[in-house]
Amino acid sequence: MKTQALLLAAFVAGPALAAPTVTRLTPPSELFSSGRAEPVIARFLPGQRFDLQATVQPDAGQKVTAARFLIDGRPVAATVALRDCASGCVKGLAAETAIATVRAVSSDAAGKHEFSVEATQADGQKVVAKGNFEVVPFTVALGPKVKNIIILLGDGMGASQRTAARIVQGYAQGKALQPLAMDTFTATAMVKTSSLNSIVTDSSPGMTSYVSGNKNNNNEEGVFPDDTVDAFDNPRVEYLSEYLHRTQGKQLGIVTTADVFDATPAGNAVHTSNRGAGTGIVDQFFDDRGHTGLTVLMGGGRKWFLPAGTPGSARTDSNDYAFSATDPHTAEIVKRWGVAAGALDKGRDLIKDFQGAGFQYAATRSDLDKADAAKPLLGLFAFSNMNVALDKINGRRGSDKNGLRGGSVVDDFGLPDQPMLDEMAAKAIAVLKRAPKGFVLMIEGASIDKQAHNMDTERWMLDTLEFDRAVRVAQDFAAEQGDTLVIVTADHECSGAALIGGSMVTDKALADLAAKKGVANLRNQVVGVYEKAGFPHYKIAADGYPETTDIDFRLLVGYGANADRFEDWRTKKTPQRDPQQPFATEAPLKWYPANAQERDDALGDYLVTGQVPGESAVHTATDVPLSAYGPGALAFIGVIDNTDVFFKLAQAAVKGVVAPADTSGAKKPPKPKR
Amino acid sequence: MRLLSLLALCGLIAALPAARATEAPLDLTFGDFFVQPIGPRGLEPTPRLLAASGHQVRLVGYMVLREQPQPGRFLLTPRPVSMSEHADGDADDLPAATVTVLLPEAQRDRLVAHQGGPIALTGRLEYGPAEDESGRVSWLRLHLAAEALAATPASH
Repeated sequence: MKTQALLLAAFVAGPALAAPTVTRLTPPSELFSSGRAEPVIARFLPGQRFDLQATVQPDAGQKVTAARFLIDGRPVAATVALRDCASGCVKGLAAETAIATVRAVSSDAAGKHEFSVEATQADGQKVVAKGNFEVVPFTVALGPKVKNIIILLGDGMGASQRTAARIVQGYAQGKALQPLAMDTFTATAMVKTSSLNSIVTDSSPGMTSYVSGNKNNNNEEGVFPDDTVDAFDNPRVEYLSEYLHRTQGKQLGIVTTADVFDATPAGNAVHTSNRGAGTGIVDQFFDDRGHTGLTVLMGGGRKWFLPAGTPGSARTDSNDYAFSATDPHTAEIVKRWGVAAGALDKGRDLIKDFQGAGFQYAATRSDLDKADAAKPLLGLFAFSNMNVALDKINGRRGSDKNGLRGGSVVDDFGLPDQPMLDEMAAKAIAVLKRAPKGFVLMIEGASIDKQAHNMDTERWMLDTLEFDRAVRVAQDFAAEQGDTLVIVTADHECSGAALIGGSMVTDKALADLAAKKGVANLRNQVVGVYEKAGFPHYKIAADGYPETTDIDFRLLVGYGANADRFEDWRTKKTPQRDPQQPFATEAPLKWYPANAQERDDALGDYLVTGQVPGESAVHTATDVPLSAYGPGALAFIGVIDNTDVFFKLAQAAVKGVVAPADTSGAKKPPKPKR
Repeated sequence: MRLLSLLALCGLIAALPAARATEAPLDLTFGDFFVQPIGPRGLEPTPRLLAASGHQVRLVGYMVLREQPQPGRFLLTPRPVSMSEHADGDADDLPAATVTVLLPEAQRDRLVAHQGGPIALTGRLEYGPAEDESGRVSWLRLHLAAEALAATPASH
C-alpha cells in the first residue's frame, strides 16, 4: 500500500473519514512508491506514447464512479476507461476495485513532469495520487542522422562469454591471435541490467529496456505491471521500432536462434505481461506489422504458426489475445494505439497469413539462400529453438555422428538444413537495406544464454563464436554504408561463468580420469590455475569453428551461479549430459520425496555443489559490456543504464549523432581492424 | 476448456479395455513417429505411428531434466535435453517428437525423480493434440501401467 501518496485530497473534512485509496499508479515512479522525486523511473522521448493507469480501492460498499488523469495539473483529454474487478483481476483485490486507464498519451515538453490521478467514489469522496516521469529531449547533433540501427544481442553474454570465445580463437604469449569482431568496435560501455522488480533481470525487460527506454517487470515485455490477469491488456510503452516506424517509416527485422516467440525477439514488437503467451505473441507480430514495420522475422518456433490440428502445432486459445469491441479497457488499445484487436483463433494458419501478406517463407537454409531480397521474409527453421552452433556445424561437417541412427543431432531433430546465425543476418540485411527510410534490426544469439543455463560450456562457447560471425556481417555492412549504427551487447549475464584456467592433461588422460571419477581425479589432477593454465590451442577449421572442442589442455570454465552439476570438462556428446550408460534401464521409476530439491542419485562422480536450487544455472545481476560501431559510436561509454541505450539510439536516428565514430574524431566508422 | 480435455483424457484411460494392458508391446523408436526430414510445414505421422496409436509400445529415450517438473508426468526425448522453464518457458530445446509420459491416474500427484541415461518404458501410446493445464500442447503421450512406478520414494 502506497500510503504516502494517498489521502492528498485537501477537501476531505477530517482524518476520521475514510476515502478511496490508490494502490498502483502507472507509469511507475518513486514519487508514488516512496514519496521521493528521484530517481525518475519512467522516461520517454518527446512524443513517445505510453499508457496511464491507476488501481483504486473504494471504501467498503462504495464504487469508483469517475477518474481522471492530469499531467502538470492539466487534465488529459482522452477517454478514461474504467473497469472493476468483479472478475479478471489478481487474487486479493476486492470486486469493487477500479482500474482506470488512458491509452497512448505522450508529451513533447522536455523535462520532468508530475502526473496525477483523481478518483471519485459514489459518496463523492475523492483521492488524488501523484507520480512523475521525464521527457528526455533530443540534443543538438554533431553529425548526421543514422539511417539504420542494428542491435546485436548476445543473450546471457557477459564478459566471460566474450573472453572465452576470443580464447578459443587463439592466444600466444598473452596476445590474442585474432580479435573477435565485437572486440574491434570503437567504443565500449558497461551496462546496468536490473529490471523494474529485481536486481536480476530475465530476457524480457533485459531486451525492452534497450528498445523502450523503460524498465519492465521480469517476464513482461513492452508493458508496465498491472492488477489484471489478462496478459495483453497491460499499460503499454512504445518501442523504438514503433516510434521510428511511426515518425520515420523505418522497417523492423528480428532474427534469432531461439523460438521467435521468446522474450528477446518479442521484446522488440509485442506487448504482453506473459512472455510465455506463444500464440498471442506470434499473432501480434503479424497483426501489428503495419505498426512496427516488421519486414523480416527469422528463427525457430514453427509450432506457433501451424493451425491447431496440424501435427506439431502448439497453438491454443488459452495463450492467444483478443481485445473487446465494447469494453473500453481493451477497446481503447485498438482505438488509441491503432493496433489490431486480435482473436482467439488457434485454427489460424499464420504461415499462410504471412505469405498472403507478401512474405516469402523459408523453412530451411536452402530456402533462405534462394529467398528474394526484394520481398519481406519469414523464416521458421525449427519447431522450437533452433539447434545450437556446435550441433549445426557437426551436422554440416558430417562429423561426430553420435545420433541415434548414425546421423547427427540435427538429423535426430529431423531438421538437418538449418542456417547459421551469420547467414540469417546476411539475408536479413539484404532484405532490409532496400528499406527506403532505413531499418531497425535486432539479431539475437539466443543459446549463449540457454546453454549457459545448462552449464554446457562448449555449446555456449561455439554459440558465442556463431554470434560474433553475425556481428562481423553487421559490422561489414556498417563499414560499407557509413550510415548504420551497430551495438553489440547482452540483456544480462548468465551462469556466473568464470574462465578459471586450463586443463593440465591431454584429452585422453582427461577421459581416463573421468572414468576413474571423483574430485581427486577430475579436479585436483585436471584444473590448472595461473601459469599452469597456459594457452589452450583450439584449431580453427575453414568454417570458422574449432575442428574439435575436445583438445588437449583445454580451456576450463567454472560457474558462480550454478545448480548442482557433475563435471568431467569434456564436450557433451549430446546437447545435455549423457552418462552414456550402455543399456536402457527398465526398472520401476523412482518418485521424489516431499522435497523435490533433494536430488542426488549419482554419488561417486565429481559433483560440483550448486549455489542455486534447481537444475539450471541462473542469470546474474553483473553488469554486461556493450560495444558500439558506426556514426556516433563514442556516445556509448562509461557505466550506463540499459534504458540509456534507447535514448542514445533514438537521438542518433532522429536528430543526429552527438559523438564521433572513433577517437580520431571521424564521423564515419573506421575500416574494421581484424 | 483445458480441464475438460484433461478429464476427457482421464476418461479415455478409465475406458481402456483390460485386454490392452496384456498385449505384447510393439518396439518403437522416436524415428518411427514422423517422416524425416521434417517438411516445410507441420509434422507428418508415419503409418507405423498411426498403427501403434492406442496400443502398447516399448520406447527407449531420455527423461527430460526439468527445472520445474510437473507431478504425474514427465517428458521423454530421443536425446538428453534439459529445460530452464523459469527463464525460457516454452522456448525450449525439445525435439518435435517429444513424448509426454503420463503416470497412472492414481499417481498423478507424484513427481518422478530425474533419471540420467536411456530408459525403456512400456505403455499405451496415444497420438493427437491434447492441451494440459499449463497450456502446453502435446501430440504424443505414453500412458504408463500402474506398476511402472516404484512403491517408495527415491532414496538419497
